[in-house]
Amino acid sequence: MPIELESSSHCNLLLASKARKLPAIFDQDEPKEPSRTVNLTVEWRFLPFALRLAFNNVTMKEVFYVFFSATGVFGDIRKWFMKAHDKENGSGSKKAKPAPSNLEKSASAELQSGKTGRSGGESTGRRITSKYFASEKHKDKDTKETEEPPIKQKSPHDPKESPAKRKFQMDNEGSPKASPFKKSNKIDDNDDDAVFSSSRKNMSEVTPNKKLKSGSGKGITQKPLEIEASDDEETKGTDSSLKPSGRGKGGRGSSAATGGGRGRGGGRGGFMNFGERKDPPHKGEKEVPEGASDCLTGLTFVISGTLDSLEREEAEDLIKRHGGRVTGSVSKKTNYLLCDEDIGGRKSSKAKELGTSFLTEDGLFDMIRASGQKAPPRQDPKKSVVKSSVESPTEKNFQKVQAKPRKDLTASASPAKQKSRTAEISNLTWTEKYRPKVPNDIIGNQSLVKQLHDWLAHWNKNFLDVGSKKKVKKLNDSGAKKAVLLCGGPGIGKTTSAKLVSQMLGFEAIEVNASDNRGKSDAKIQKGIGGSNANSIKELISNESLHFRMDQPKHPKTVLIMDEVDGMSAGDRGGVADLIASIKMSKIPIICICNDRYSQKLKSLVNYCLILSFRKPTKQQMAKRLIQVANAEGLQVNEIALEELAERVNGDMRMALNQLQYLSLSMSVIKYDDIRQQLLGSMKDEDISPFTAVDKLFGFNSGKLRMDERIDLSMSDLDLVPLLIQENYINYKPSAVSKDDNGIKRMDLIARTAESIADGDIINVQIRRHRQWQLSQSSCIASCVIPASYLHGQRETLEQGERNFNRFGAWLGKNSTFGKNMRLLEDLHVHILASRESCSGREHLRVENLTLFLKRLTEPLHTLPKDEAVKMVVEFMSLYSISQEDFDTVLELSKFQGRKNPLDGVAPAVKAALTKAYKEVSKTHMVRAADLITLPGMKKAPKKRIAAILEPTEDAVEGAVGDTLAESDDENSLDNEDAEDSTNGEKLQLELQSLNKKGMQVQLDLKGVENSSATKSGGRGRGGRSSQASEKKGGRGSGSATKRKR
Amino acid sequence: MLWVDKYRPKTLDQITVHQDVAQNLKKLVTEQDCPHLLFYGPSGSGKKTLVMALIRQMFGASADKVKVENKTWKVDAGARTIDIELTTLSSTNHVELTPSDAGFQDRYIVQEIIKEMAKNRPIDSKGKRGHKVLVLNDVDKLSREAQHSLRRTMEKYSSYCRLILCCNSSSRVTEAIRSRCLNVRINGPTEEQIVRVLEFIGKKEGLQLPSGFASRIAEKSNRSLRRAILSFETCRVQQYPFVSTQAIPPMDWEEYITEIASDIMKEQSPKRLFQVRGKIYELLVNCIPPEIILKRLLYELLKKLDAELKHDVCHWAAYYEHRMRLGQKAIFHIEAFVAKFMSIYKTFLISTFG
Repeated sequence: MPIELESSSHCNLLLASKARKLPAIFDQDEPKEPSRTVNLTVEWRFLPFALRLAFNNVTMKEVFYVFFSATGVFGDIRKWFMKAHDKENGSGSKKAKPAPSNLEKSASAELQSGKTGRSGGESTGRRITSKYFASEKHKDKDTKETEEPPIKQKSPHDPKESPAKRKFQMDNEGSPKASPFKKSNKIDDNDDDAVFSSSRKNMSEVTPNKKLKSGSGKGITQKPLEIEASDDEETKGTDSSLKPSGRGKGGRGSSAATGGGRGRGGGRGGFMNFGERKDPPHKGEKEVPEGASDCLTGLTFVISGTLDSLEREEAEDLIKRHGGRVTGSVSKKTNYLLCDEDIGGRKSSKAKELGTSFLTEDGLFDMIRASGQKAPPRQDPKKSVVKSSVESPTEKNFQKVQAKPRKDLTASASPAKQKSRTAEISNLTWTEKYRPKVPNDIIGNQSLVKQLHDWLAHWNKNFLDVGSKKKVKKLNDSGAKKAVLLCGGPGIGKTTSAKLVSQMLGFEAIEVNASDNRGKSDAKIQKGIGGSNANSIKELISNESLHFRMDQPKHPKTVLIMDEVDGMSAGDRGGVADLIASIKMSKIPIICICNDRYSQKLKSLVNYCLILSFRKPTKQQMAKRLIQVANAEGLQVNEIALEELAERVNGDMRMALNQLQYLSLSMSVIKYDDIRQQLLGSMKDEDISPFTAVDKLFGFNSGKLRMDERIDLSMSDLDLVPLLIQENYINYKPSAVSKDDNGIKRMDLIARTAESIADGDIINVQIRRHRQWQLSQSSCIASCVIPASYLHGQRETLEQGERNFNRFGAWLGKNSTFGKNMRLLEDLHVHILASRESCSGREHLRVENLTLFLKRLTEPLHTLPKDEAVKMVVEFMSLYSISQEDFDTVLELSKFQGRKNPLDGVAPAVKAALTKAYKEVSKTHMVRAADLITLPGMKKAPKKRIAAILEPTEDAVEGAVGDTLAESDDENSLDNEDAEDSTNGEKLQLELQSLNKKGMQVQLDLKGVENSSATKSGGRGRGGRSSQASEKKGGRGSGSATKRKR
Repeated sequence: MLWVDKYRPKTLDQITVHQDVAQNLKKLVTEQDCPHLLFYGPSGSGKKTLVMALIRQMFGASADKVKVENKTWKVDAGARTIDIELTTLSSTNHVELTPSDAGFQDRYIVQEIIKEMAKNRPIDSKGKRGHKVLVLNDVDKLSREAQHSLRRTMEKYSSYCRLILCCNSSSRVTEAIRSRCLNVRINGPTEEQIVRVLEFIGKKEGLQLPSGFASRIAEKSNRSLRRAILSFETCRVQQYPFVSTQAIPPMDWEEYITEIASDIMKEQSPKRLFQVRGKIYELLVNCIPPEIILKRLLYELLKKLDAELKHDVCHWAAYYEHRMRLGQKAIFHIEAFVAKFMSIYKTFLISTFG
């Protein structure tokens, strides 16, 4: 017994100094201490620098890159060097102050802060492994039991109070038996901590305080607490002039020193303050306290302005970690406005108006620290038991014996939970176990569930009653559709609600999901309904009525649930169509479920269904349910942590439960940090849109991103991100350039960026064309990271009326337009080549000939009288075998912004005459390019086929008519098989003529008279041809549409 | 018919500008078997005309019976098949094509299609002299790989297939190919020659040419005969009778680039750069080759630039033009040049004028 107690008290110590890990080691060998601590302090002096280095690795690389790629001093470098210096100086000065006797303390304190800083707030020793779980649990229960009455009286603040009490108990228990040396050491240790005494005082004061509070409610009582804390702060600040105490004087002093700098920054004006929130002046210099995990529970904070040492996100984390809530704007519910300087913004004025109390960062720290003081002891007993059982095997038996009765006690306290947990965890996943049992259990979407319920309840009445056809029309909307389509993201309870509702209404649900083959059912009934699922569905829906009406009361009603209908794919041929057919004839209600209602596959289905779009439940809703689950499973989780979980899983209840179950395997007390860490991994895999990536890269604070983060961001879409960056980099005002006279520096940076982007393009060619994929990192650095590091800053608009968001890269669109124009140009080129009058290349055609072509084609229309002009143009066109489309191409290609269309001012009558004349001419004139001939019977005009073989020009004139004949014979004989009815030459001739006409007809349609063509060509042609015409129209229609758009 | 085409010499004898070359070629063809030929020279100097005339000289009237074919070739490239669209102009004895139209896939054209064409020996009706000519345009735009594969073809089928290559700059044709060909340099016609041609056309068309008008056109044409004749005709369409002070209209795109250049000179700011980007996009979309845009832009900028900056700006233009050829997205490089220019010019302006 004595040994056990001693060891426990030893452990007590260990745990009491949990946060200050090192002193705990020290008390093993006191004498060596000084030398070690000196060592440590020396190390510590460089720690900030080293940390900076590690942290700023990016900046280093970036800096080198900048140095390599260009000369000149770059803002980031200066900033970085200055920061590094500051750091060193700061820590140096801090170091210089403490008296040698205090070395140990400062070392310990600082190490602690270093630790918290580095390990990102990993709670020390809080994580309890499952191995220890049971015994700890009992311990916990034990203590709880003893304290049950007070707890029940108190408000949510108690938890942090009770441990303190416990600590007292334990202290009293343990201290007499602990060795005096250790005890004194411990007291020393605590004394060092400056807060200790005050907090103890606090504690004694708080208890009565709290009791008052329980009666009076939260809002009022927190204030005194805060004042108290700040009082503490002050008193400590005054009397601890010698004590370094981590966050003590040193930090303050330097804050005053850099105060001037901040003032200058502020001088830039309120507007600038908005975008570039300054770095906290003493970033990372203060020790972030550890407190009880729930010390801020129930408090709501609003953060405003720049804090003294914490980034906003850090502060938010800190508060959430301790159970507080952070909101964006001040409201009545807000307890504190956290701000270090009153910048007089909206938040602070609102807060003043509402009488919200202001809280400084130090005040927050004190609050947390005050609780932290009481927190560790709470864990002592548990740990001590565990430890002792490990450390003193001889005592094991005894221990066990002792443990047994305790267990009994706890078992009696909460037997049901304990048992159920151990029993059920093996056989059911939580998602199944906690699936809602009644519709009211479903989280969120209650109205939709109600709607579904109504629909299903009235289904029979609406659709099955004889002679209900007239009635159907009268029904309200929700009843009008025979099937219902539930859609929404995964894990929000679609299937569950469908099942529950049908269950509740006494329907028997038949579920068919993607695991079943849902292809089209066989039309032949001979095959039976055995194999194919679809067939059985058919059977089901068609025959149900029979059963159902014959013995209505006995036979359960049936409902078909088609799950995952958007998953009907390759294997399920005709699935959706069949489903629709089923819906039409169905005699039972059908519930379809899908994730994405806008899926292409479901386009036809939505017309037949009543659509119910499920929304994601809010995080509060989810957290509420998750707490129920956690309680049922005996997990200790606070609400904030669960809300965080709910937020991270993006409304997916199933995923949240899975995560929670996974977490429960390793720990029984789940904290905010645990969830953060657990989900950090899944966060990374989340798809990040190129826009977000670019936003982040160019964001104002992107200078702080690590290199790998930047690369990750740019790699999120290797094709799109560079394009977006290229499109938008001009819009950013680089924050690296602080004072820019006349924008020279910015222009210089833009030039460098542009060059870097061009580098990226060159590297990309190497990657794609020569498959040098090892270069992808370089490409990403050249095309994304460097531009972003040069120009990150605030975005500004360049055009009026532009929205201040990143535009989508124009290159893709322009490139496709270029491709289209190139094709059109090629067509024109081929036609002109086919005319055999010219032999210039495509490029020359565009660069040199096109201007003249345009002039020749349009100028006469302006200057000459109508008939003459038309004649001239048409002659020119047929000479070069330019079709009407080519005419448009010429116009299109020589269109520039700000230039007037050469056809402007040409009377419509002239245009019409031109079209008519061209039509006339092309009827008689030799067709030279094959794609201008439309062939009968063929679905599509042969695009770019062999052109007519041409005679030398001398013969051409007299041979023209003959040529046409010969050609047409040629062409038509080819198509004889197709056009079966065309038997003799004469008819062929006729047909060709008509076809020619029709070709023109179709082209006419292009001009906008779309309806007439169908009737006209339909009158002339048989089925085949009219289809051809329409086909052609369709094909060209898109082209003309685009033209019209522009 | 456009005058460029109407007054194009049809035979080697009709050729006036490069008479000496034409005569040599004639001798070469008539007296002995002709080697592979490489014509190079600035655009508008008459390479293509010479080639056409030469082919007519070789094969007579049959060379005029051409068909234009725009065909999609399926080429096996390792695991996949690539579709390449290619326009060819062919008669029984010759095939003309521009392999560089296929962009970076030109290698396949050379390896597969040209080889295929070169392999097929045409059979004469008399069964003799199966002889074939392949005319390849713009060989200087061929990628390096394509040029390498071309040289094997040149050797292997040289017994019955001749290649006539046309390009603007022989420096971009590999040494190996150049050494396998008879290199024929076609100079740009001198201004006097251009004036003579213009006057000849004027006479044929029965036009009244004011004195000095032809020489002004010639001056503007940058020693490109085609250009000169085209602008001559443009003038004719625009205004006739001619006035000696008549403006010679530039090409539409040239006008546009002038506009861009003056934009750049007026203001150097991100906003302006953004506008310029839009305009360059427009040029590119209208199928103006990026090299030409950059060159013309430099030319326009230099016109307005201080002498001390000219060297620097030229350097950067060359730098970005080179990189543009290495890269793929021309706009990035042109924009980089514009940004660089803006940066240089702005610094210069402020350091000089404050």
